[in-house]
Amino acid sequence: MNMDYLQYVESDSYLNKLDPRTKFVFFVVMAIVTSVVKSLVALIFLGLFLLVIWITSKITKEMLTLLNKLKVLLIFILLLWLVLGIFEEPPVAGGPVFVRTDIGKIHICFDWYDIYKGLVYSLRIYLMIASFFMVLITTNFSEIILGLCRWHIPYSVAFAIGLVFQIIPIVIHELQEIMEAQSSRGLEIEQCSWLVKIKNYMIFSIPLLFRVIEKAQAISLAMHYYKLDFSSKRTSYKTIKATRSDLFFALASAAAVVITLVLLHFFYIPV
Amino acid sequence: MDYSINNISYKYSSDGPLVLDNVSLTIPEGSVTAVVGPTGSGKTTLVEVLSGVIPKLISNGELSGEINLGENPVIGVVSQTPENQLFGYGVEDAIAFGVENMGVPEEEISSRIEYVLDLLNLQFLRKRSVAALSGGQRQAVCIASALVMNPNILIMDEPVSSLDPNGKRLIQNVLRQLRADNTTVLIVDNNLDWSVNVVDRVAGMLDGKFIYNGSKEDFIKDESLQKQLGVMIPQEAEIYHAVSKFCPDLAPFYNYDHAVDELDRFFTPVSASSEAAASASDANAILTTHQLNKIFNDGFQGLKDINVSIQEGRVIAIMGQNGSGKTTLLKHLNGLLKPTSGDVRYRGNSTLPLSVAKISKNVILVFQHPEHMLFEQTTAQEVSFAARMQGVTYTDEDVKNILATYNMADDAEVFPVNLPMGKKHLLTILSVLLSTADVVMLDEPTLGMDAFIRSELRSIITNLREQGKSVILISHEIPFVFGVADEAIILDKSVKLFEGTKEELSRRDDIFETIQISLPPVVRLSRRYGFPHICYTVDDFAAEAERMFSGKEADRS
Repeated sequence: MNMDYLQYVESDSYLNKLDPRTKFVFFVVMAIVTSVVKSLVALIFLGLFLLVIWITSKITKEMLTLLNKLKVLLIFILLLWLVLGIFEEPPVAGGPVFVRTDIGKIHICFDWYDIYKGLVYSLRIYLMIASFFMVLITTNFSEIILGLCRWHIPYSVAFAIGLVFQIIPIVIHELQEIMEAQSSRGLEIEQCSWLVKIKNYMIFSIPLLFRVIEKAQAISLAMHYYKLDFSSKRTSYKTIKATRSDLFFALASAAAVVITLVLLHFFYIPV
Repeated sequence: MDYSINNISYKYSSDGPLVLDNVSLTIPEGSVTAVVGPTGSGKTTLVEVLSGVIPKLISNGELSGEINLGENPVIGVVSQTPENQLFGYGVEDAIAFGVENMGVPEEEISSRIEYVLDLLNLQFLRKRSVAALSGGQRQAVCIASALVMNPNILIMDEPVSSLDPNGKRLIQNVLRQLRADNTTVLIVDNNLDWSVNVVDRVAGMLDGKFIYNGSKEDFIKDESLQKQLGVMIPQEAEIYHAVSKFCPDLAPFYNYDHAVDELDRFFTPVSASSEAAASASDANAILTTHQLNKIFNDGFQGLKDINVSIQEGRVIAIMGQNGSGKTTLLKHLNGLLKPTSGDVRYRGNSTLPLSVAKISKNVILVFQHPEHMLFEQTTAQEVSFAARMQGVTYTDEDVKNILATYNMADDAEVFPVNLPMGKKHLLTILSVLLSTADVVMLDEPTLGMDAFIRSELRSIITNLREQGKSVILISHEIPFVFGVADEAIILDKSVKLFEGTKEELSRRDDIFETIQISLPPVVRLSRRYGFPHICYTVDDFAAEAERMFSGKEADRS
């Protein structure tokens, strides 16, 4: 279970250098746009815009890895809409119909609209997750905390969010180690039935629980050693500042959103 | 000013036992003091009291006595796991965290960070991410993050226990810098091997009391005290104890240079011996690798054309710095990793199609962190874990015998997670003894073990060999390795540099220079004085030295 792809990628890329606040806003805007836009043409344009950012920031490999990890989900969404649409005639006239028949009282119609709808929903989900993922792998947790604090979010909340990003890879690593350690002592988790596999997975839960508790205790001790007190005013060694790159990125994103909405207007097919 | 605690007593609950019993200790300012003592002696509780964890975070116990650490003292603590206490993605973020919390102005934070980075020679790390650092570098950054807070006392709790020789060397250098800077340091570690050259004073704890508090020199001289406390001392000091029994004029020494100065008075150095080294025996190969290559997803090549042959009934040590490919090789031998190319064969049959669990019936691996393994409700149940997983028939008597043999009978019904670290580690090794596997692999088995438990580990390895089983171990404890191993495999940068007997290896100074690891003092000294054979244990060295010494005395008279 390799989940390294979920971690921050250290790089000197364009996206990495941006102010974290710019990237937070970008993600929120993208989440709204992909929730609203249901036009395949507009979504393809948006996808191409993101592709340009990935290529510019040299994170195409990571985004393809994400696509690979999500492929089962995306195919499931596509198939789901194919199955749901197969019992209905297309609401929009025209376009090819591949199969139209009746099995008893059940009317079957497999047409272009079923594929269109499946593609729209799969693409929306992928673009929404991808825009979050772009921010995740190009913003380290120290920057996340700094960005949130600059928005006057209390340090305790910002620290807790940053801590989650710091701890998740540790917990994933611990789980991997536990699985390897127990299978090395003879616990079968590869060549066995699903039922046995689920039962054996229980054996991982106990050491993992203790490890997580131990980690939590160690972190709590360390917070004490470093005199972390949320009621006291703290200073900050580093500061973040928006630059011209942020302005350019914001303008480019805004232009892309406008074009997406225009395309939505001209190429909208109700789904 | 000196810091002190006077008549400190503590128990974790009102009806619990005294964990600290009327303890008093003075820590001179600018000194380096080592607190030693076996597992459960109260060292950790002492750290908790000094750092204020007791009573601030652990408030339900009973604490009495007087603590004089100055006004609003800052106590820096460096634990054995730096990952748990480095907050921040980058090195600078992590170092700044504590001073930011203290509300120190930005300009002063900058100057303090510059100071500690210069002091500890860590400027080259400042722009790196914490995750990308080696273990030793992380620990050094951790020390910097505590030091930047200008602590009254810097406590280091087993800071090198999980580091490789390079990591240890880095922390030794850091400690020397702290010493030169007059920082007050308290090292809490039962292993004096790495710190003895820098330490000024030693305080020995046993059952919640200090039974020794004095100079390092006096402590090193007192062998019975060291044994009582289960303290690991440098092998040079062990040699001093053993040789001084028949050579009473010998002055104490605890490092190699002093050992040479002193022993040269009684033994004559000779030029390098041309004695032929024993070559590997022709025992049956039980486990072999063939042109093993491993390239990971990120393109890193973990193993390059590795061919090794593990012989039946032998103890094989795999050595090398961290990142040399030791654990990668071990994980190929038990199937956790599949090679990019090449093969692993057990008794001639490829293990590649088999699951890890199936391979474990022949080749079993014990991981270095017991917390990843301990699962059962009692120690006795944990001992039978591997046997149950593999469907091996065993009796309760078998379990009792194992626990009794290795002095854990009293712990049979204890919840394994509650055992001290050294015993936890011992238990994970015991848990594979009922397995059918005839190749037992141990990854860093000495981690967290005091001298008492190490001797149990030595017995386990010896017993397995006597049963005809092969033992493969990875360890950075080089004197321990030379004491128990028959053969060695040396890896460096994913390539095999050497495979053969330890006798052959003992004469290959070139290899040790390449991998930047020192040969054990007994090996170097027995070669220096031309002993009839190279010695691998202190007892063996002392016996040879006594023979030579008696001969000289006889010639003289």
